[in-house]
Amino acid sequence: MMGAVRAVLTLLPAVAVLYVMQQNTPGYGEITSPIVIQGKAGERVEGRDFAFAAGNIHLARAVKTQSFGSVREYTTSGVWVLVEGAAVAKRESLTLMSAEWRAPSGVRYALSERFSTLRGYLPTERLEPGLPRPVLLAFEMPEAEVRGGTLLVARSALIPLGEELWIDVGEKNPTDIHPSVALERGSSTMPWILKVE
Amino acid sequence: MSIRQRSRLRRRLFALLAAGLGGIAAAAISFAMAVYDAATPNQVPVVAPGEPVDTGRWVVTIHEAYLSPIPPTGTKPFEPDTFLVLEFDLDNRSAATSNAFHELISIEKPSPAALPGPTYYLARDKWIASAINPNMPERLIAVWELSSGTPVPQSLQLKLRREIYKQRDNLYGSPGWFEDGAAAMVELAVTQGRKGAPL
Repeated sequence: MMGAVRAVLTLLPAVAVLYVMQQNTPGYGEITSPIVIQGKAGERVEGRDFAFAAGNIHLARAVKTQSFGSVREYTTSGVWVLVEGAAVAKRESLTLMSAEWRAPSGVRYALSERFSTLRGYLPTERLEPGLPRPVLLAFEMPEAEVRGGTLLVARSALIPLGEELWIDVGEKNPTDIHPSVALERGSSTMPWILKVE
Repeated sequence: MSIRQRSRLRRRLFALLAAGLGGIAAAAISFAMAVYDAATPNQVPVVAPGEPVDTGRWVVTIHEAYLSPIPPTGTKPFEPDTFLVLEFDLDNRSAATSNAFHELISIEKPSPAALPGPTYYLARDKWIASAINPNMPERLIAVWELSSGTPVPQSLQLKLRREIYKQRDNLYGSPGWFEDGAAAMVELAVTQGRKGAPL
């Protein structure tokens, strides 16, 4: 009788320890998630392979682009968030293929793919080491998700343990929403001209 | 054989018997559950057009199906052609922007092999649809090009695929969305030309 009680008493803590370990083991997604580098908008955020700085941020209800002489208007049910920034590669030529806007709720809005041809757009710009390039980012999201957002920039969303810059937009966030913003063709040093209409 | 050895043997025999009976019971219950599941398949609800269907990852509202001589881009094809057009609303219920809606809607009747895969257009842009953001429902247009030999369907039965979120999948233990049968069937007539309100 005493032996059975002792066996149960030694088993119980073991079961408890195993349960806690099972519940707290990080999943595959967490183990291979990108390495976060924190930063702030308005300053240069340094990664190992690249650096990125977010500058002006504009909000708009519609975006107009020009291609081959015709104007295309891109409307949205929410709001367009346009980020003007600069990026530079540090060790080898690369292209930054992934950018996301992380709302305070944790929902991630990926870089819009609706523009087919836009000069200076982040995934189309090839970055060379030591030569900073102006880059443009555009996101679409409901109005309520803009405030308190974080800009996530990475080389690719698929590389396990790659680096990802988490840029706190915080005070850089504008409050006024323009009815329309036009992106016109610029020069080679500044590939686009952003005009508020 | 001493008394002590005999009692140890009896204990081992008892443990073996218990484990064997447990295993047989587990196998029997698992088999019975499989037979029960096969005997009572889940009834897939049939939903009318215009009703939102929660498929897990997406909320889909099928609106109408019609035949059109021009694709949603408005560019008339060089050779006369017929397009089977399906308009629907798509709401991303997951936590990230996604373009994984191409397998969501499939044609059950007429037989699916008769048509090639559709092209998806965003009604807002009248251009090829890219990824859909969460919390931002969009009107999409699926277009099947009917080649000249294909019979023109009078009605469609569509299957909406259900997807479930797994925190840890069975292979790597990574989070993801996985197919889980059909969420609903939608039956609707194919009309000549568009009937709905202008986009």
